[in-house]
Amino acid sequence: MNFRELWEGVRMAIGSLWMHKVRALLTILGVIIGVMTVITIISLIQGLNRAVSQQVAGLGANVFYLQKYPWFAGRDWFEYRNRKNLTLEDAQAIAQLCPSVKNIAPVLYSGKVIKYKDRSTERVGIWATTPSYQEVRNTTVERGRFFTQTELNHRRQVCIIGRTIVQGLFKDEEPLGSYIRIGGRKFRVVGVQEKKGSMFGNDMDAAVIIPITTFRKLFGTHRSVTILVEAKSGLFEQAKDEVTSLMRRRRQVPPKKPNDFAINTQDTIMNVYKNLTRILFLVMVGISSISLLVGGIGIMNIMLVSVTERTREIGIRKAIGAERKDILLQFLIEALILSGIGGIIGLGLGGGVGKLISAVTPLKATTPLWSIILALGFSSAVGLCFGIWPAAKAARLNPITALRYE
Amino acid sequence: MEIRENIFQALQALKAHKLRSFLTTLGIVIGVTTVITMLSLIQGMNRSVQGQIRSLGSNTFYIQKFPAIRMGRLGEKYRKRKDLTIEDAQAIARLCPAVKKASAYAQEFPVRAKYKGEKTPYISLIGGTPEFLELHQYSLERGRSLTPLDVQHRRAVVVLGADITEDLFPHLDPIGQQVLIKGHRFTVVGTLEPKGNFLGESMDDFVITPITTLMKFYGKRRRSVTIVVEPVSVEATQLAIDQATQVLRRRRGVPYDQPNDFEIMTLDMLMDVYKKLTGSVFGAMVGIAGISLLVGGIGIMNIMLVSVTERTREIGIRKAIGAKRSDILYQFLIEAVTLSGLGGILGIGLGVGIGELVGAISPLPATIPIWSIILGFTFSAAVGIFFGIYPASKAAKLNPIAALRYE
Repeated sequence: MNFRELWEGVRMAIGSLWMHKVRALLTILGVIIGVMTVITIISLIQGLNRAVSQQVAGLGANVFYLQKYPWFAGRDWFEYRNRKNLTLEDAQAIAQLCPSVKNIAPVLYSGKVIKYKDRSTERVGIWATTPSYQEVRNTTVERGRFFTQTELNHRRQVCIIGRTIVQGLFKDEEPLGSYIRIGGRKFRVVGVQEKKGSMFGNDMDAAVIIPITTFRKLFGTHRSVTILVEAKSGLFEQAKDEVTSLMRRRRQVPPKKPNDFAINTQDTIMNVYKNLTRILFLVMVGISSISLLVGGIGIMNIMLVSVTERTREIGIRKAIGAERKDILLQFLIEALILSGIGGIIGLGLGGGVGKLISAVTPLKATTPLWSIILALGFSSAVGLCFGIWPAAKAARLNPITALRYE
Repeated sequence: MEIRENIFQALQALKAHKLRSFLTTLGIVIGVTTVITMLSLIQGMNRSVQGQIRSLGSNTFYIQKFPAIRMGRLGEKYRKRKDLTIEDAQAIARLCPAVKKASAYAQEFPVRAKYKGEKTPYISLIGGTPEFLELHQYSLERGRSLTPLDVQHRRAVVVLGADITEDLFPHLDPIGQQVLIKGHRFTVVGTLEPKGNFLGESMDDFVITPITTLMKFYGKRRRSVTIVVEPVSVEATQLAIDQATQVLRRRRGVPYDQPNDFEIMTLDMLMDVYKKLTGSVFGAMVGIAGISLLVGGIGIMNIMLVSVTERTREIGIRKAIGAKRSDILYQFLIEAVTLSGLGGILGIGLGVGIGELVGAISPLPATIPIWSIILGFTFSAAVGIFFGIYPASKAAKLNPIAALRYE
């Protein structure tokens, strides 16, 4: 078969579809609706996944969290209570002894009420850390400065506050240089943190950053330190291994026992999210593709009708020398055109609906490339599958009986 | 009107094109099957959650210091609330005529129960009253329940949940044995029948001791009790809530212009939360399933149009010998509805079957609500009418002369 024959087939198919415009339109409509539903659903799901992973990305791409408890421990949490605390010395050891580690930041966290003059906040997050926190979390101050190594060493009572706290406590006043009370202790504001937005509904700007030494001086040393570890680029897994073996040594975990500490990463969250939603999403896509199946049945039906109607035409074509494969190709191309056009229009509409939904709701839809390919491939496959039988039926017709057909 | 004849004619016409009718109906069958399967699975899930919520106690409600369902951290206004006490529960029982029983319970969590070498995982130790087990519909397997005397004398006795019995006494009669819980010895006086899971959490992993004993051993401070209230009847629930609210407001000295400084939670609220969480997802699923019904409907319209074209001469003849517009309209409309109705019936059958199958092989229970069957059938018939009306009216409007001349 050569290109000319193919082109001839396409022209004939378009011609015969043009003869029955309404019929072709309705057949295509079925495919359009099917493809549109699948594409819309996929874009919405994809958008949702993207939004979640963007929020999770706020944790830092190359960073893992060395902690006493794993995230999402659930009931097992109580099993881990007897673990030893992680300490500042552990953090120092990691910084000194692990070559794949670029930077570390120990963090202590607590919730405290903040007061300024007669105003006060609800309990907000106090993050006690070191200056390296800036690089590890990739955060900067918007105004003023971060606290310095000297302030850390001398346990100075200075703090960097988030935007929400500026708005809540200071209104139009200048926050830099003024004194606030954190959990009853006096701190000088030296900087305002840049806007962080929210993560999973938590306002990340309702936060205060103070030196970790000051925190231990004022609020006690009984808490377990969370160690943020930033790996050198490309050495993430290696850094994890180094930290694990170092910590096992430091905490004297016997060789066959499991780790008595947890390494939490972005993937920890993403895995939980994916586990929660995977089945639901699969069901959704599955159900929506059922309408594509129904659309395919519509194509098959109409093609069968078309074969019956054109029995005489097939007879004539065969009588003047058309081979089986010519007839097969003719009808197959017709079916493919029906489903292909449906697929393209459905794709456009599905993308449009996704855009519309992103415009009017907070849900952001993104149409991934693979879903476009999938939809086009799927709708062509539908045309092929459901077109092959009618086409084969047409090709098998005996020219003599076909010519006699009324 | 000759409905019967029309239906007969329609069936004849469909029989003349068996394959075509079959494929057209198949579209509707698939659509209806999907919708019915979805509905029955969703309904089954709702039913089982509702049953589980009901099994917490039929029409009881709970009074607590804090809201049971909360997002994030509790605000200051909650944290400064006074604790609820055993005396509050007693006052409600004494002073509210619409209340049948009111019982207070508290819990110590997490604890581990130990017996000789055996140890349970972390569980909760509930301090309750004899009514607690009745109100939550637990039944006794062996031994006895707690008694008012146990409560009065603060006896160190426990009744074990089924999981705990399983963990500590797999081969032994636990009655009369002593278990060690968080530094204190308790004598086992009874064990409970297993009650199963609720939303994936076991309801049998606890031990219960008199509330007075719990307070004696582990302290009263910072321990707000939960009060379970059973109204005298289902109808009196709201009255009981009002009376209990009044009693508590008075006892806690809440000024008349202030909101309640405690939370009342009914089981209906729990159900509402569940419905809110799942409602939109379920709605979306049924909606998406319904789209395939729409596509099937388009298929009907298409085939009916083909059929009208093919039978143009027939229509011409019928008109020529006296058929009215309405006759032709009905003829084709009934054909369309027969197609879709048939699809509806088959789809309902298949949907029910799949629902049952899924219910049989997976833990998902399926219940087929009767309204979903009616809905499925009505909807598919409506699809037939909606998508049949255009081809039918096109046929009815044909000019008999032109139709007869048609080749």
